[in-house]
Amino acid sequence: MRDLAQLAVEAALAAGASYADARAVTRRSQSVGSRNGRIETLDDSESEGIGVRVLVNGAWGFAADRRLDPTGARAAASRATAFARAAGGRGLKELAPLGAVSGSYATPFTIDPFSISLAEKAALCLAAERGLAHAGVAIAQASLRALRERRVLVTSEGVVTDQEIVECGGGIDATATSDDLHQVRSYPSAHGGLSAQAGWEHVLALGLEREAPRIGEEAAALLQAPVAPSGVMDVVIDSEQMALQVHESVGHAVELDRIYGTEASYAGTSFLHPRDLGTLQYGSAAMNVTSDATTPGGLGSFGFDDEGVPGARQPIVAEGVLRGFLASRETAAQLGSGSGGTMRADGWSRMPLVRMTNLHLEPGDGGSLDELVDGVKDGILFATNRSWSIDDKRLNFQFGTQVAWEIKDGRRGRLLRDATYTGVTPRFWGALDAVGSADEWRLYGLTNCGKGQPGQSAHVSHGAAPARFRGIQVGTTT
Amino acid sequence: MTAGGGAPRGRLTVAGLDPLEIAVAALAAAGEEQAEAVVQVESSGLARFAASEIHQPTLIENATVELRVLHGKPGALRAGTASTNRLDERGIADLVRRARDAAAGATPDPELQPLAAPAGGAPAGAPAAALPGAPGWDAATAALDGAAQARLALAAIDAATLPVYGFFTAGATGLAVASTAGVRAAQRTTDATARIIAATEGASGYAERTAWAAARVDPAAAAREACARAERTRGATVPDVGVYRAVLEPYALGELLQWLAFDSFSGLGLLDGSSCLTGKLGSRCLDPQVTIHDDALDPEGLPRAIDFEGTPKQRVAIVEQGIARGVVWDTATAARAGAGQATTGHALPAASRAYGPFSSAVAVAPGEAASLDELAEAVGDGIHVTRFHYLSIVSAREGIITGTTRDGTFRIRGGRVAEPLVNLRFTVSVPELLGEVLGLTRERLLTSQSDFYDDRFAYAALVPALATARFTVTGTGGGPGL
Repeated sequence: MRDLAQLAVEAALAAGASYADARAVTRRSQSVGSRNGRIETLDDSESEGIGVRVLVNGAWGFAADRRLDPTGARAAASRATAFARAAGGRGLKELAPLGAVSGSYATPFTIDPFSISLAEKAALCLAAERGLAHAGVAIAQASLRALRERRVLVTSEGVVTDQEIVECGGGIDATATSDDLHQVRSYPSAHGGLSAQAGWEHVLALGLEREAPRIGEEAAALLQAPVAPSGVMDVVIDSEQMALQVHESVGHAVELDRIYGTEASYAGTSFLHPRDLGTLQYGSAAMNVTSDATTPGGLGSFGFDDEGVPGARQPIVAEGVLRGFLASRETAAQLGSGSGGTMRADGWSRMPLVRMTNLHLEPGDGGSLDELVDGVKDGILFATNRSWSIDDKRLNFQFGTQVAWEIKDGRRGRLLRDATYTGVTPRFWGALDAVGSADEWRLYGLTNCGKGQPGQSAHVSHGAAPARFRGIQVGTTT
Repeated sequence: MTAGGGAPRGRLTVAGLDPLEIAVAALAAAGEEQAEAVVQVESSGLARFAASEIHQPTLIENATVELRVLHGKPGALRAGTASTNRLDERGIADLVRRARDAAAGATPDPELQPLAAPAGGAPAGAPAAALPGAPGWDAATAALDGAAQARLALAAIDAATLPVYGFFTAGATGLAVASTAGVRAAQRTTDATARIIAATEGASGYAERTAWAAARVDPAAAAREACARAERTRGATVPDVGVYRAVLEPYALGELLQWLAFDSFSGLGLLDGSSCLTGKLGSRCLDPQVTIHDDALDPEGLPRAIDFEGTPKQRVAIVEQGIARGVVWDTATAARAGAGQATTGHALPAASRAYGPFSSAVAVAPGEAASLDELAEAVGDGIHVTRFHYLSIVSAREGIITGTTRDGTFRIRGGRVAEPLVNLRFTVSVPELLGEVLGLTRERLLTSQSDFYDDRFAYAALVPALATARFTVTGTGGGPGL
């Protein structure tokens, strides 16, 4: 793979590129899903190819070819160069300096997820799903996934990296229905369960079978639960929902490509401006957010990004003040600060984009979930994401959760359904009163972060503890 | 633009590859009693631009084979799938081994359907798009290379009077299905889209053109429309939250209905109770002016002859004059439904089939209004929405969707479009929004619904503009523009 990538880079330079990089990628993934005692999905997929990115006269070009052979490598280089030449540039592109990096990285794991047979995976799904059975639960589902991806990067500046990423994860969902209600309860998180960059030991530790009876019971209970109230009140948000809150209202907002407008036509821009760095009050002093491409288990962990920049940890928000952006070499040069380090591509057939790696809300001194609830006289506890939406500048958001509980005089009360809350990013984070302690901090993985045209799905992780906010607009879905 | 693009009958090549030939070869290599091979070929380009500069131009060449193997007898079948884009002998041999292993790992499934024999409508062995009159393939579009696509993107940039952000894309795709039950179906399609946001500080406007032939997509016209709209958004004001009458342009209505369709127009959604049509088939659920079909056969859309099971596409009535009529089905959900329900040709690839059948050609019947201005007159006092951003399903069963407006939101006063507004947060029950309709335009627009994730599958909604009496604004966001 290294030789092919080198061949592609040389072909691009020979065709007139001033800079070129080539990523040769092989990916294998397995997914298993069960539903009501039946195995519905049992899939073992692979995909491979080479993606070549070039700069010609200050214009980028990218071409990808499935043929992981010299013919495919040369064809991709030639087409990328021709595309860039036709696109035309506005002068030279400046990239933040990077030395001749070379190195390798591999996900540390104990049990190779691909050493577990599909039959064993199917059996685990069925066993986990059985525990969801409960009166009122009409649909019981379980899913497991595994991924192995090797990517080799060679650039015309001497970068040579070789990385192997291993991911796996799983989850369960109980859907309770009545004549007019359809309520879902998931564990350990919504939207496909909880994945990590880890071995199968991660899946075994999820305790899907152990937690299933509680999830089934909660799903059924939602059919009898009252609709959450509306109004301005104090809220406590569980760590799973906080992970998505951080993702949407911090992570995307601090991506420099959005700030410079190059993602405007799809995912949107940002309310932030480059001059806000170091001065903008993003939230209260309890807010500390860190980007960390070295987090063990994080889906966004790597040795090197897709430009060859070594993975690193950096502050994004410290004590409520904006301290960092997510950048590429190009946007870092534009900013005049940093070296990039968050360029990531979805497989071999997409161009690298500025992406979150692992973005964490650091733990605070708020204690346990119960202690956070104890500090609320009249409010709502939200748990497990159900719906999510935020505007193109990452300001106005609305989230719904699968479950909520009323809080009265510091105690968790009745189960509530159809709970939503809404806010405007800096005001919301300004209302952050406390973040739970390190014991409450959990790492959540998202495998469906969409961005780019053509679309790309990134895998990212967020660590978060439950958090308490004062005076939040709570609404209902009905 | 001839069906089959002039290719010999039975050979529908894309980028030099014949998907049906690959599918038949994979099936032969499998040597299984029950197996199905699905091949997708893609040759595409996308010239993305920002601030009037092409900055992310992407060319993709790919071909994927998915093999589904069934073991056992009806009533106790076990199924597994595998896929690869390695088309050489070794790649296909590995594919067969992995598909067999997957099937061996499954448990016997009493509900699993045996592979179906070729469905009516297309004779066995006849690639669907080779049938006379089947539209959807344009050789000139398929021939657009990167340089040509860059020129079409630059045409939009050159025509713009404001900085523009967006893309021009064109792609050629091939789909073929072959099974041991005798299915031999194939189609090749082309698609082209120009999507433009004209934007500067405090102003932005949107426009789009989509068709299956690039010659019918005018990037410069889209750029001019986007710029004209953007100029009218300067000085946006903040309205009160509340329930408004509103005009939704086709860009907005198309996206809203596509999101509703994920659950509500699907047979799985109907069976599971996540469709807002659950329990309502045959009864009035929307305004009598509303008629919705899934119509993949309409040459004004992005025509598709077959689904991923090789089943010929059917035109499906979802809502007729406000009365709920039906949903789309694949083989598995149709069998679950019973009562003689058959697939309507809306299956996804096997690995994604747990998501149920997919309505990918939403079409709303036109109304009588001659223009958007006429709809504004019908609204009187309300809001004009060009497009939406980041929709999310709050409650599938109730058809409640939230999102924000973007790139052209205006107040309507005295029956005319008035001052621009900031982006609005809305949370609406779509059945309520479509339950009191004030009018629809005679003209319809094909609005792309594909963001081109994974293997290229272009799909679009063919819709008019619509005026409604109920559009619920629940918050306000940032202003238009960058």
